[in-house]
Amino acid sequence: MSRFFATGSDSESEESSSADEITPKATGTTFNKNKEAFTTNLILCCPLRFRFEELTNIIKTIRNAMKIRDMSKCLEEFEQLYRAFLKSKTIVDKEGVPQFYIRLLADLEDYLNQLWEDKEGKKKMNKNNAKALSTLRQKIRKYNKDFETEIASYKEVLNSSTNVISLCRCQDEESESDDDEDSEDWGSDSVDSGGESEDNEGAAASLAVVFLKKYKDGRRKRHKKIEQVEEEVDEDGEAEEGGWEKVKGGVPLVKEKPKMFAKGTEINSAVVIKKLTEILQARGKKGTDRAAQIELLHALSGISNENNLGQGILVKIKFNIIASLYDYNTNLAAFMKPEMWKKCLECIDELLDILFENNNIFIGENIAEDSENLAISDQPFRVRGCILTLVERMDEEFTKIMQNTDPHSQEYVDNLKDEGRVCGIIDRLLQYLESKGSTEEVCRIYLRRIMHTYYKFDYKAHRQLLPWVTGPFSEQDQEESEGEDSAIIMDRLCKFIYAKDRTDRIRTCAILCHIYHHALHSRWYQARDLMLMSHLQDNIQHADPPVQILYNRTMVQLGICAFRQGMIKDAHNALLDIQSSGRAKELLGQGLLMRNMQERNAEQEKIEKRRQVPFHMHINLELLECVYLVSAMLLEIPYMAAHEFDARRRMISKQFHHQLRVGERQPLLGPPESMREHVVAASKAMKMGDWRTCHSFIINEKMNSKVWDLFPETQCVREMLVRKIQEESLRTYLFTYSSVYDSISMETLSEMFELELPTVHSIISKMIINEELMASLDQPTQTVVMHRTEPTSLQNMALQLAEKLGGLVENNERVFDLKQGVYGGYFNRGTRTRP
Amino acid sequence: MASRKEAPSGKSLDSPVRQIQIEGLVRPHHQALQGSEVVQGVLLGLVVEDRLEITNCFPFPQHTEDDADFDEVQYQMEMMRSLRHVNIDHLHVGWYQSTFYGSFVSRALLDSQFSYQHAIEESVVLIYDPIKTAQGSLCLKAYRLTPKLMEICREKDFSADGLKKASVGYENMFEEVPIVIKNSHLINVLLWELEDKSTAADKHELLNLSSSTHLEKSLQMLMDRVDEMSQDIVKYNNYCRSLSKQQQQKHQYIQRRQQENAQRQSRGEPPLPEEDLSKMFKPPQPPPRMDTLLIASQLSTYCQTIKEFTSQNLGKLFMAEALQGTSSYS
Repeated sequence: MSRFFATGSDSESEESSSADEITPKATGTTFNKNKEAFTTNLILCCPLRFRFEELTNIIKTIRNAMKIRDMSKCLEEFEQLYRAFLKSKTIVDKEGVPQFYIRLLADLEDYLNQLWEDKEGKKKMNKNNAKALSTLRQKIRKYNKDFETEIASYKEVLNSSTNVISLCRCQDEESESDDDEDSEDWGSDSVDSGGESEDNEGAAASLAVVFLKKYKDGRRKRHKKIEQVEEEVDEDGEAEEGGWEKVKGGVPLVKEKPKMFAKGTEINSAVVIKKLTEILQARGKKGTDRAAQIELLHALSGISNENNLGQGILVKIKFNIIASLYDYNTNLAAFMKPEMWKKCLECIDELLDILFENNNIFIGENIAEDSENLAISDQPFRVRGCILTLVERMDEEFTKIMQNTDPHSQEYVDNLKDEGRVCGIIDRLLQYLESKGSTEEVCRIYLRRIMHTYYKFDYKAHRQLLPWVTGPFSEQDQEESEGEDSAIIMDRLCKFIYAKDRTDRIRTCAILCHIYHHALHSRWYQARDLMLMSHLQDNIQHADPPVQILYNRTMVQLGICAFRQGMIKDAHNALLDIQSSGRAKELLGQGLLMRNMQERNAEQEKIEKRRQVPFHMHINLELLECVYLVSAMLLEIPYMAAHEFDARRRMISKQFHHQLRVGERQPLLGPPESMREHVVAASKAMKMGDWRTCHSFIINEKMNSKVWDLFPETQCVREMLVRKIQEESLRTYLFTYSSVYDSISMETLSEMFELELPTVHSIISKMIINEELMASLDQPTQTVVMHRTEPTSLQNMALQLAEKLGGLVENNERVFDLKQGVYGGYFNRGTRTRP
Repeated sequence: MASRKEAPSGKSLDSPVRQIQIEGLVRPHHQALQGSEVVQGVLLGLVVEDRLEITNCFPFPQHTEDDADFDEVQYQMEMMRSLRHVNIDHLHVGWYQSTFYGSFVSRALLDSQFSYQHAIEESVVLIYDPIKTAQGSLCLKAYRLTPKLMEICREKDFSADGLKKASVGYENMFEEVPIVIKNSHLINVLLWELEDKSTAADKHELLNLSSSTHLEKSLQMLMDRVDEMSQDIVKYNNYCRSLSKQQQQKHQYIQRRQQENAQRQSRGEPPLPEEDLSKMFKPPQPPPRMDTLLIASQLSTYCQTIKEFTSQNLGKLFMAEALQGTSSYS
C-alpha cells in the first residue's frame, strides 16, 4: 500500500499507458458494460483496488506476451494471475468476478485455440514455447469451466458488438465529457485530502482500463490542471516533488521542456539548492529516468549560470552531473556510451576551468553537507565533493571503454584519441592539487599520471640518445622535443611517492611502473637495482591481482630489456616464471584462457575480464616467447652438449625442451614457418655447431618482421644475437667434438666461427677454468691440446648402468625388508639364504 | 661340417622334444630386411622319435596398414597346401622370429608360443639374430616353454602366489633345446669348395676388435630393462605396503568388534550382526607378476649375450696383444 502512496501519481501515468496498450483490443460495448460495473465500484475500499491493480498488471503482461507469442511467459504469468485471483477471493466473492478478468480468460482461450490450430506456426515455435502452449491450453480449459456462464455472456456481447459500433461512438462522446468531470473532481480532491484523492485516483486507474481512445485528450487537460495545482502549492516541498515527477513522466508524450521553476519564482541559491536536493533524492530510486535526470541537472546549471548564482553552486551542480553520468550505467561491467563519455570529459574540463579561475573555492570530501558555503559572500566557497575521485573514476571508465572496444577496429583508434584528453585532465588536476591538495591526494594523482606514462616509449628521448640517427630535424620534431623527457617526469613523480606515500599499494605500483619505464628504455641496471632494492619478489604473491599483473608485466619487460642488452641468463630468469606456466596471456592480463566452465563460472569470468589490460598497453606475446626461447636456446644447447652423458642432467628450460620434442615428433620436417619452428630449427643447427645455419634461422626476413623489428634498437639486438650465436656455437662445437680432436688450432676455430682470436682464446680459457673442457692451451702454436681423461661413452654407459642397478638393489632390499619386517634385514640376514 | 652339433645342455629336458635337427636349407628368408623390423614365419617339419626335424619354413607376409583385412590363417593354409603339392613336409612344428641384440622375451612371444605349444605339443620357436650372424657367428636358438609355465599359462594365474606355488622363476620359464644342423651332401660339398676358395682376408671379420657399438647398444637396452624392473619393484613395494596396512586395519576392526560383542554379551544384549569383512576391506589389486618375470628373463638373456660377447672380445684382445708382443720382439 505504501508503495502506491509514495508514488501515487506515478502509477497513474503507468496506468494510462497500459490503457493505451489495451485500447485496440477492447471494444466499445464492453466499455459500456464495464463502466456501469465500475461506477458502482468507485467508492470501494483500498484492498480491492490493490488486488485489482495487481490483476490488471498481470493481465497487461499476459497480453504483451500474447502479442509476441511468448508462450512460456504467458504460462508463467497465467499461473501468477491464478494465484493473485485466489488471494483476492474474498473481494471477488463480495463484488463478483471482475469483467476484465473474464475478458482475459476468454481472449486467452480463443487465442490459444487459434494458435493450436495453426499447425505451421506451431512447428516454427521453439521447444519451450510449444510445451508451454500445450500446458497452458489444458490449464485454461480446465480453469475456464468455473467461469463458463460469464465467458459465454461476454462472448455474446462481443458478437453483438459489431452491430452497435455507431452506438458506441456517441457513447464515446459522452464518456469524454464524463471523463472531464471526473478529472476535475480528482484535481480538487487532491488538494483537499490525501486519502480521498488517492481513492479517486485509483478508481481512475481502473477506469483507465476501460476508457478508450478519447482518454488521451482528457489526460492532456488534466496535465494543465496539474500545472495549475502545482503553482498553487509551490511552497510545499512534497507537492512540488510530486508535481515534478508528473511532468517528467509526461515528457515523452507532451514534448515540452521540463519546467524547473514556476513562473515568477525568484530564483536564488536557496531555491536552486533545494531543487538540486530534490533531483538528487530521486537518484538511485527505481523508475527514475537517469538520462532525464542528467538533462535536468544540466538545465539547472544553465539556470544558475543565467542568474549568476555564483561559482559555488555551479561547482556543486557539476559534481552532481558527473556523478549521475557515472550512475547512468547500473551495471558495473557495462561501459559508458560515447556521447556520455564525451559529456563527462567536457564536464570535468569545465569543472577544472572553474576551479582554476576561482581561487576561493574549497572542495573536499570531508566538508560536511551543512557546513557548505555555496552562496556568494565574502567567505570563500566551500563545496563538498572530491574532484580526485571523479577523475579517478573517469580514468577507470576510460579503461573500461578501451577494454570493451574491439582492438582491431577504427573505433578503438578513435577512442584512443581521447587518451590525450584524459592525460590532459589528469595533468591539469595534478597542477591544481599540487597547489591545493594534501600529500595523499598528490600521491594518488601522481600515480594516475605515472600509470598513463610508464608504458609509453619515449621516441624523442630515444632519438637523442642515438646521435648517429640525427638527420635534419623537421619542425615537428623540434616541437616534440621541447616537451619534458618522460624519464625525468617518471623520476620526479616516483620519488615523490616513495618519499611521501603512506599506503603500500601506491608505492608498489609506482615502483613497478618506474622499473617498467626504465626497462622499456633499456636502462637495465637502474631497473634491476630498483627491482632488487624493493624486495618485491618476496611478497608480491600477497598483493591484489591487478598489482600482480603489473608485476608480471614489469618482469617481462625487464627480461626483454636484459635480452636487448645481451644478458641472456638474466633474461631467461626473468621470463622463466611467466613462460613456464604456459599461461602468459592470463598472467599479463591480456586475455582469458579457454577453460571449461567447471573451473570458472560466469561471475569469475566477469571479474577476470575487468582485470584485462587495454590493448594498447599489451606486450607482444610472440616477442616475449621468442625472446624466451632464444635465450633458452643459447643457454641450453651448450649445456646439453656438455652434459650429454650425465645421468642426472637437469633441464634449464622445460618449455624449450617441450618445443624441441614437438619438433622431433613431426613426421615430416618442412622448412620452418612459425617463430617456434624457426627457433627449433636453429637449435638443431646449433647442436651441430653450425652457427651459420643457426644464424640464418634466427635472423631472417620472417623473424625480422615477426619479432626483431619490434625492438627500438633493432640493429644492435641483431648484432648482439649474431655474436651470441657464434660464441655459443663455438662452445657447443668444442663440447661435442672435443673427443674427436687431439689438438685444434685456435686460428681454425676463429675462422670457423668468424670470431676474433682473443675472443676464442677467452672462451676456451673460460671453459678450461670451469673444468668444462679437458684441454690445455699451447701458447706458441696457438692450439688447444685435448686431454683424454674423461670416460668414453661406453664407460659412461657402464657408469649409468651401475647407478641404475644400485637403485634396483635398493628397491629390492625394501621388498625384502617388508617381508622380514625389520629394516636392514637384508644385511642382517646372517647365514640365511635368500628365498 | 657334416653335421655341427651345438653343445648339448647337460640337463635332461622333460619334454617330448630333446633335440632339434635343422636342415641346412632352412634359413629365414628375410636377410634383406635387416632393418629394425622383426620378421616372423612358420616352421615345417616332422617329429622323429625324440627329435624334431625342421625341414622347411616360410615367412608370414609383412603387414602394411592398408591390407588390414588380410587373412593370415588362410594364407598359411594355402601355403601349406601348395607345399604339400610339391611333396614337402607340411607339418606345422613351430615358428621363428628374428631378433636384435637378443631382445625377444616379451609377452607376445610368450602368448603365441603358448598357443602353439597348446595346439601342437612339439612346436618350438626359433630365435634368429641376423646382425650377429652377419658379423660372423651364427646365432640361432630354439626355445620352448617349460611344462610348469605351460600349466600357469593354461590357468592364467599370473599372481605372485600362483607363480610361487608353481615355483616358476625367470630361470625356468623357457628351456633351450639343442640344435643340430644337418646339411645335404651336396651342400657339404659346396661348403668345402667355398672354404678352399675363400682367402684369409674374408675371415678378418671374425677378428674385428671394434666392438663398442654393439656393446653400447646392448648396454642401452639392458639399462632400459633395468629401469622397467625398478618401476615394477616399486609398484610391488607399494602393493605390499598397502596390503599390510589394510591387514592391520582389518585386524583392529575385528578386535574392536570382539570387544564390543563381549560388552554386549555381558549386558545381555544380542551380539552385533556379522558383516562381510571382504566387502569392507577390499584387498588392493596385486600387480601382475608375469611382466616382471619376463623382464627378468630378458635381463638374464641380455646378460648372457653380453657375457658371451665380451668373453669373445677379450679373447680377441688377448690374441691381439700376444701378436703385438711377438711382433715387437721380432
